Amino acid sequence: MPADVAARGSDQDLVIDLSAYDNLEEMKQQLEQSLNLLEDFGHKDEVCIDVGMMRLTEKQLRELENVVKLFGLSLKELKYSQKQWSGKVPHRVPLDSHQILQGGDTVMISRNLRSGQKFYTRGNIVILGDINPGAEVIAGGSILVMGSLRGVAHAGALGYEEAVIAAFRLNPTQLRIADHITRAPDGESIEVGSPELARIRAGKVVIEKLKI
Amino acid sequence: MNGRVLVITSGKGGVGKTTTTANLGTALAMLGKKVVLVDTDIGLRNLDVVMGLENRIVFDIVDVVNDICRLKQALIKDKRFESLFLLPAAQTKDKTAVSPHQMRNLTNELRQEFDFILVDCPAGIEQGFKNAIAGADAALVVATPEVSSVRDADRIVGLLEAAGLKDTQLIINRLRPKMVRKGDMMDIDDIIDILAIELLGVVPEDESIVISTNRGEPAVMGNGSLAGEAYRRIARRITGEKVAMYNLEDNQNIMTRFIKILKLAR
Repeated sequence: MPADVAARGSDQDLVIDLSAYDNLEEMKQQLEQSLNLLEDFGHKDEVCIDVGMMRLTEKQLRELENVVKLFGLSLKELKYSQKQWSGKVPHRVPLDSHQILQGGDTVMISRNLRSGQKFYTRGNIVILGDINPGAEVIAGGSILVMGSLRGVAHAGALGYEEAVIAAFRLNPTQLRIADHITRAPDGESIEVGSPELARIRAGKVVIEKLKI
Repeated sequence: MNGRVLVITSGKGGVGKTTTTANLGTALAMLGKKVVLVDTDIGLRNLDVVMGLENRIVFDIVDVVNDICRLKQALIKDKRFESLFLLPAAQTKDKTAVSPHQMRNLTNELRQEFDFILVDCPAGIEQGFKNAIAGADAALVVATPEVSSVRDADRIVGLLEAAGLKDTQLIINRLRPKMVRKGDMMDIDDIIDILAIELLGVVPEDESIVISTNRGEPAVMGNGSLAGEAYRRIARRITGEKVAMYNLEDNQNIMTRFIKILKLAR
């Protein structure tokens, strides 16, 4: 493979790594270049693009998709591998989620968050206490609440879809993970007495029992 | 469309501004009007809870005035009525996050889309109050039959006049006809005597309000509630219909009148 192409096979998908770029023009250029060089590997008809920490608008996404289409391919999905910028050199080694979690900073708050209090962090956040209705916690990584989560929690706020929200009592006003927003259905609320975990599965926020 | 902006205010807290806003808004929507409720109680937002829409909030009024989102994105459509919308307050900021000038622009924008814009004013007479009344065409002053509430309402009417808002009407909330009959509570005439503004309606004390507030379903939607009926009447008056005042003192007898005169004479 030529030296300046950052592509990798993750499971069965072909992923083009554009995570080192932070503007659309450069991304498009690099994508075109990569696809040109990869044309010989013609056994795939779908590609994934890793845009790293960049959050694309609908329009930008369509522009990237158009480039992919020019090569007779279709865009399967966008990936968001979160990592620190290290200059303009494309990463060759894919970072998996474990490495990201180890690299990120985790903040711990040892008190209850009351209505009107808002916490923001780029990394993960652990709360030894409750998040009351009207309080908000926003994290670039995951959120762990050692208490009741009754307010709003936003994990993976920078676009990181692998982020999770876990709480001893998960009873939130609203849950947000990356670009997904959910709320409890109207009507009766279900009381679950055990710890639960919210994460994205197949493009949807799902809540499951926390198994340890 | 050229909507009317009504601010619901009281001065004193806890007299039922938010409940009144939620119920009148819902009642107006039930009459087929296009209504938006604007919560200006930034930092102590409640209207979303009373309407049962708290978990739908993504953007709020502060985001709108700061151009973080478009107005349409922040408006939350009610889950029961198609023509009813809520613009929620921010919870993590304070009253200074919005200026009267921005409020005026906001209400003018809403005027294009809605028949009625109901602005829920915070308690007090500071910045939040000034914001709430900035774009208003008329004010609905809510007072309970208590000396302290009437005192604060009087102050508010004075401030509204000073701000050039001449169209003020009174809603008396939480009246207990039995106590009035016994002469233990200020009656409607006493209150109007002091405030000297037009009476728009009287809402009786009603336990079902507590239930409906906790459930996030305005009382006007149910049929059994006295307060709900009173709010429906007020809503019809707001649309210009002539509706007879719900007379709470119909069965006042001569004896109680006599007792009351004696009490006044002392």
